[in-house]
Amino acid sequence: MSTSVAIEQTLKQYVAREILDGKDIGLDADTPLLEWGVFNSLEIARLLGFVREHFGVVVPLESVTAEHFKDLRALTALVASLKG
Amino acid sequence: MDFQWSESQDELYRRALELAQRHFAGASRVWADHAFDRTHWDICAEFGLMGLCVPEAYGGLGLDALTTARVVEAFGRGCEDVGLVFSAAAHLFAAVMPIVEYGDEALKAALLPGLARGAAIGANAITEGEAGSDAFALRTEARRDGEVYVLDGAKSYVTNGPVADEFVVYATMNRKHGYLGITAFVVARDTPGLRLGEPLAKMGLKSSPACSLYLEGCRVPASRRLGREGQGGAIFQASMQWERSCLFAGYVGMLERQLAQTVEYARTRRQGGKPIGKHQAVAHRLVEMKLRLEAARLLLYRACWLRDRGQPAVAEVSLAKLAISEAARQSSLDAIQLHGGIGFAADYNVEHMLRDSVPATLFSGTSEIQRDLVAREMGL
Repeated sequence: MSTSVAIEQTLKQYVAREILDGKDIGLDADTPLLEWGVFNSLEIARLLGFVREHFGVVVPLESVTAEHFKDLRALTALVASLKG
Repeated sequence: MDFQWSESQDELYRRALELAQRHFAGASRVWADHAFDRTHWDICAEFGLMGLCVPEAYGGLGLDALTTARVVEAFGRGCEDVGLVFSAAAHLFAAVMPIVEYGDEALKAALLPGLARGAAIGANAITEGEAGSDAFALRTEARRDGEVYVLDGAKSYVTNGPVADEFVVYATMNRKHGYLGITAFVVARDTPGLRLGEPLAKMGLKSSPACSLYLEGCRVPASRRLGREGQGGAIFQASMQWERSCLFAGYVGMLERQLAQTVEYARTRRQGGKPIGKHQAVAHRLVEMKLRLEAARLLLYRACWLRDRGQPAVAEVSLAKLAISEAARQSSLDAIQLHGGIGFAADYNVEHMLRDSVPATLFSGTSEIQRDLVAREMGL
């Protein structure tokens, strides 16, 4: 499994378990999480904490933008780039 | 954590307390119900209150969060006009600090010296009729038009609004993006398209004026944007970390003054052949007031200490805000109860502390919102 695929799977599991409470919304890499209100301010703060603890990277404030949080594909790319 | 204040911190505290007591205390007048007084603002500004944590390069005192809180606490203790301290703190923490932390160099150089010395007054405008606790559901819109942004919308409960020169305004550029669609701007009072409503009549904090703000095709230069497009939500949250800690230090000071005043009354007021403080029911209520004050103060210092070390402190800041604001309201009720009839009378500078404390559990995020934030941090 490539690094990006593993990151995406981990983020997907986190979102399904912690934010969607197990509800099946057909979550995939392109589900518009921001537009659907899945990512609100509280959830983004929690997600940043999860990314810090699980992946060991701190997302800089200037990267907390709609471009990077619109869906799991964009978020995965951000985490992968920060992990270097 | 080191509980010892440095000599310079002690000196600042003493000077601030002395100044506040000299100008804004004493039984010669009722402090609660007068209007905003620019000469009072200027006395505080001369001390440096309006720029405590603004870097010295921009005319501030360059203090860290803990020292800033300690000085605001001194003003809260010495100044019987709670609204004055509230207005100064709202200016500094919700309007000036977002510019310090997110303005570009040209904007900081242009605005901060005046704001830090209190020559100009700042206000924060985020709340809307349909966006209170759900602050990021705001509807005020901004759209880019060349080198300006055009703002349209209405804001409510803008503290300092009637007297402010600069407004930090939050607007959405894409409602679908929610929290990440918001952008922050600094809008000058004289910008065409900016209009202010009538001053709001309130139950307390009467010397701190507030009003609604209307933006109608208001063209704001792009150079007055704070941070990047979409960063407004984070900028507002950062300002709330300042406000929920350092602004509420003023209420800690008020609680100390209130407790000293009530203890003195309990030592001198005699009923049943002895001072009322010798009645256990009275003494125990005073101990509860003391406990609330000391616990809230330690939560405040710890939150500021963590922030100064650059550590995450969302839960700690919310716990401090929650403890201080709830203590202010409950202890103000207790102070009235212990003073009896004169606690209810407007001439004795007791009852207004309740009226000034009720909003403390509402603004900067209600007590319910603070509990939500802490619960999230606890993994709930």
